[in-house]
Amino acid sequence: MASAAVSPSVSSGSLDLVIETPENVLLTWQLAGPAWRLAAYAVDFAIRASFLVAGCIAMTVVALVLPGTAIGSLLLLMFLLEWGYTIGFEYFWQGQTPGKRLCGLRVIQDNGQPLSWWSATLRNLLRAGDTIPFLLIYGEHAGLLILIPCYGPALIAMLLAPRLQRLGDLAARTVVVHEKRPELPRPPMILDKIDAIPRDELGSRLPRPATLALIDEFLARREVLSYERGHALAGPFAEALARSLGYRGDPQLVEQYPMAFLARVHVTFARQRDADGDDDSPARRRPRKAGAAAS
Amino acid sequence: MNKQQFIRRRRPVWKAFEKRVDHLRGISLKRMTAKEISEFSRLMRELANDLATIRSRDWGQSLVDYLNGLLARGHNAFYSAPPGRLNQVTQFLAAGFPRLLRANVGYFLVAAALFFLPGAIAWTVIQNDPSLATRILPPQAMEQFDQMYGPTDKTDPDSDGDDTEETSTSEWSDDEDDDSNQFGEERAAMAGFYVQHNVGIALQCFARGVLLGIGTIYTLLYNGIVIGAVGGYVLSLGHTEKFVSFIISHGSFELTAIAIAGGAGLMLGDALLHPGNRTRGEALLERSSQAVQIAAGAAVMLMIAALIEAFWSPAPIPAIYKYVVGTLLWLVVYAYLFLAGRNHAA
Repeated sequence: MASAAVSPSVSSGSLDLVIETPENVLLTWQLAGPAWRLAAYAVDFAIRASFLVAGCIAMTVVALVLPGTAIGSLLLLMFLLEWGYTIGFEYFWQGQTPGKRLCGLRVIQDNGQPLSWWSATLRNLLRAGDTIPFLLIYGEHAGLLILIPCYGPALIAMLLAPRLQRLGDLAARTVVVHEKRPELPRPPMILDKIDAIPRDELGSRLPRPATLALIDEFLARREVLSYERGHALAGPFAEALARSLGYRGDPQLVEQYPMAFLARVHVTFARQRDADGDDDSPARRRPRKAGAAAS
Repeated sequence: MNKQQFIRRRRPVWKAFEKRVDHLRGISLKRMTAKEISEFSRLMRELANDLATIRSRDWGQSLVDYLNGLLARGHNAFYSAPPGRLNQVTQFLAAGFPRLLRANVGYFLVAAALFFLPGAIAWTVIQNDPSLATRILPPQAMEQFDQMYGPTDKTDPDSDGDDTEETSTSEWSDDEDDDSNQFGEERAAMAGFYVQHNVGIALQCFARGVLLGIGTIYTLLYNGIVIGAVGGYVLSLGHTEKFVSFIISHGSFELTAIAIAGGAGLMLGDALLHPGNRTRGEALLERSSQAVQIAAGAAVMLMIAALIEAFWSPAPIPAIYKYVVGTLLWLVVYAYLFLAGRNHAA
């Protein structure tokens, strides 16, 4: 429980949104910053532009027969793309536009609830306040004018607001979060030949679960590092661990091969805790063979 | 049970949940059967339990991240916003919108003053001295007005029935009754323009209120002065009947709606400038939820105005009909805004 109480306070320092769900569990979302949101915006912009181009092409054909209707429909399409596109998608796709979906982003209410209709409307209408000033680009032909929004107020607001919100988000109580697809972490790679440290070489203290978890994760990602770098990183940790466990065995192991020492500690205590079986049925108490942790 | 055992034992459940989340992302929740939903919900609670277990046992951040991410995706997919109903839309337009407007009528009045007063001043000044119009209106626009309201009549009889005109034009091309064809087509084009341009301006007028109200005030003053200047200039040319009969009908919806959208924008600005005992953020949150609804109502009014402006206002019928209908529309608009939804006032 201690860790559950600690993690939100740790997370609030980083750029995370922590919410207690109806299932009474704390969920954290990573907030999305300007860079990812700009990427999503660029994708949406491209989609909107291609819709407009497609509309222009279709309407040049229609204009042969109905010139006025063609212009009127085109203007209506422009209006819908400018104001309706984001509102519609974010409402019907639960906080995602095609661009946001591609970039793995989602808009949610800041209490973790799904985006409501009025929030979607508000945050996207207020975009007009967030986007100024505009960069004006005149095309070759007079009258062809491209307006590139600079999102000045939005950037300032995102720097100042605690949850990376632009003005529209602040007013609508929404946040943009990353919706990641994390992979199940792989089990640590520990060679079968690695044995547990004999009891008589250790003191009476047990490592904390968090320490074991750290070793676990370090060894699981062992192949990311080169052999030398891995030992260099593991060195200080192994020394501190050896001291706190009261390790009396071969000091060479800790100094020369700290990763091997960590692996042995892991084998020792993961298996030992297993045998102790803190809350398990007797059936689970059967001893496992040495290399099982590697499976 | 240690970490690896726990993972081994729970892994199938997590993978099953992952599959369901992926599946749910593609389809709407509504298409799931009751059994599937309860199954999903049960899995979610199981995962929440697993996550709590892992957190409490300090089994490492990567495992917490995995389950947290999975559960977050499930949460986002599972809890969706309540679906909108057509009933709510009509309820909003029939009662909700005018009621909200009346609750915040002060903002509307200030915005109306910011919009209509400069407009009236520009109107009277320029009608008395048309040469001043060059200071406000660009020369191309003035030429355009000379043409639009000039002596050459571009339209002839053939009045109502815009639909029939459109179908007729699609059937036979521009050899016979060319005039009505062009006129109908022009209306269709203008309808699109009015929606895109006017509704866009009103929504921007609202949205820029979030910049301490400055954007809204600027938009109101600017549009008030320009519209007033146009009115004064055209009247000074002596096209009074043509112009007034043109604007009177849609003006009821259009001008009022711009002031309403401006008022909604001022609500945002005022919340930031005068938050009272709240923080500015809280004041903005509270005020904006009403302001956005008022702005949405104004947008609907402007779409109605666009239809009137495109299809009724330029209709080649005697001006007296337009005066009568226009006056009625003004009465209808204000009766709607100030009376609709009174009886259910809660």
